[in-house]
Amino acid sequence: MHGVKRVRHTREALEAKKLREQAKLTDYLALTDDLLHRKQENDYSLDAFKLTTRLLQVNPEFYTIWNYRRQILIKGIFPEKQPREIYEYINEELGNTMAALKSHPKVYWIWNHRRWCLENIPNNPDADGLEAVNKWKSATWDREMMVVEKLLNADARNFHAWSYRRYILANTTNPRPEVTEIAYTTSKIEANFSNFSAWHHRSKVYSSLWTSGKLDEAKCKEDEFDLVQNAMYTDPNDQSVWIYHRWLVGTDSSAELLNREVRAIEELLDQESNNKWCIESLVHYKRMLLSKVDGDERERLSAECKQLLERLQTLDPCRRERYASMIKQL
Amino acid sequence: MSSPPKLLIPLHVSYIQKLGESKDDLSYHLTAHLRLNAVYWGLTALCIMGHKDALDREEMIDFVMSCWDEEAGGFGAHPKHDAHLLSTLSAIQILVIQDALDKLEISRVVKFILSLQQPSGVFAGDSFGEIDTRFSYCAVSALSLLGHLHGLDVEKTVSYIEKCRNFDGGFGNTIGAESHSGQVFVCVAALAILDRLDVIDDQMLGWWLAERQLPNGGLNGRPEKLEDVCYSFWVLSALSILKKVSWIDADKLSSFILSAQDLEGGGIADRPGDMVDVFHTLFGVAGLSILGYPGLVDLDPVYCMPAPVIEAKGLRKGWQSLERRVSQD
Repeated sequence: MHGVKRVRHTREALEAKKLREQAKLTDYLALTDDLLHRKQENDYSLDAFKLTTRLLQVNPEFYTIWNYRRQILIKGIFPEKQPREIYEYINEELGNTMAALKSHPKVYWIWNHRRWCLENIPNNPDADGLEAVNKWKSATWDREMMVVEKLLNADARNFHAWSYRRYILANTTNPRPEVTEIAYTTSKIEANFSNFSAWHHRSKVYSSLWTSGKLDEAKCKEDEFDLVQNAMYTDPNDQSVWIYHRWLVGTDSSAELLNREVRAIEELLDQESNNKWCIESLVHYKRMLLSKVDGDERERLSAECKQLLERLQTLDPCRRERYASMIKQL
Repeated sequence: MSSPPKLLIPLHVSYIQKLGESKDDLSYHLTAHLRLNAVYWGLTALCIMGHKDALDREEMIDFVMSCWDEEAGGFGAHPKHDAHLLSTLSAIQILVIQDALDKLEISRVVKFILSLQQPSGVFAGDSFGEIDTRFSYCAVSALSLLGHLHGLDVEKTVSYIEKCRNFDGGFGNTIGAESHSGQVFVCVAALAILDRLDVIDDQMLGWWLAERQLPNGGLNGRPEKLEDVCYSFWVLSALSILKKVSWIDADKLSSFILSAQDLEGGGIADRPGDMVDVFHTLFGVAGLSILGYPGLVDLDPVYCMPAPVIEAKGLRKGWQSLERRVSQD
């Protein structure tokens, strides 16, 4: 149970609630028994199908009934239908589960059922050419992209929706250029810098575009550093931006880039004295620089890290022990 | 700030005992799809509080066996519900804690579990094919508890988990997904069971996990999200497998968990003032055990089961929780 306020009811109020729920409970239990019995008897009739609709409306988390519903479709209904009718059934499934998803956007089983629907759209048998044959599929998958965008507008951190989005992008018959995802995450980030889900997605999309050679890594990174710096100045206490910055710098950056970023963060720290994220990031990048220098320079950097870590121990006492272990490592 | 209440063990024990008594309540029946998991949550919480016998052993074993799905060869969450890896792991955990594995046709369950591994190495939850690193953990933990890890393609299993690792050191539920504390627990614990912690960047992940603690002491599941008692376990278990529990403020977290107790009816909620449930009750108690709260039994963070049970089976891995404190009164 998440985020439901505790309220104390009097004994009378509880009894009254039970009484009100009595009819609902009897109906629910009878329907459950009926369906589980029909399932055991391999009843794949349209009657049974309609009953699963009723039960899932009351309880969309009843996974066994979702399974049964799919079995009825596969074994009882689809074998006697033309492809067009199957397509209509699937569209109806998607329409019905949309209502369930709106009120229960975090129920795994509903997302799961939609995936099954998408994967079971038939080809159009009357069409000629691949594109026409796939028309039903591409139309439905395209519409799902709009569905998922609506859900991400309602809750931009819903990880089910983000996963579903990645699933659609990877599997649709009508793929859009991956680079459009950059624009999408930009709009999400501009709406709210704290949306780490969007920053995360962006890091994955860029990685893929760079690996495939569709975008130039060095050029993109310069633009990204500008965007991140802007976000840092807007809210230097937002950890999403600092985590993304760490990804952007990466693990094998040149000393030149590290020094440049260190200077930029130091400038921000001048304005935001005692900002924990500035100091913590400075330690991280300076420690990376440590492995690239030796002699006096190394001594100096090491002493700076130690001094910054000591400041962090006071500023951020919850994580004191972590900073202590880092001092020991120096 | 006033000092937080103590852990009200007798009240929580009676809360768990009463859970099965609300059969005339609609909400009880609406959660039937989680019943076997709930029995495991309740039993484990009781064990950690030193009251294993508060629920009847025979009745519990009978209920577990009534959830057996003969057709699939696994356990559903409730009698006549379909077999699923989530409920199958709960069933095995209960039978192990109750020392009743002899009730089980082990070779059939092993076959069911192994049949769910996909070519990519991840596991599906059931024959309908939803994939998630949660299910990889369920399979690895269950096979290990049954003494059948040798049947598993370890390399393939690890390879998928490794692909779910993100630059922040955390893990997501599928390849490409955002790091999430719950997924970090399942991936880290599965790797611990398979002796493959080398896959983890422990400095990076330790940082990410330590940053889950918020100023009020509670832990969140992802950056810039709200705290929730259940993350006390997901984050702490991973930290204790990495031997870094000291990287967060244990006193502040203990106070947060204790303040989420229902001081009248018993049980622990997701956060102070909310409705309690058995899921958060277990993960609150589990968190307190890892933090060394006085009077509790050690919890094994890898299996989320009582540590003595796992030790007796010779399955203990090299995790570290905080030393058990002695009560001041």
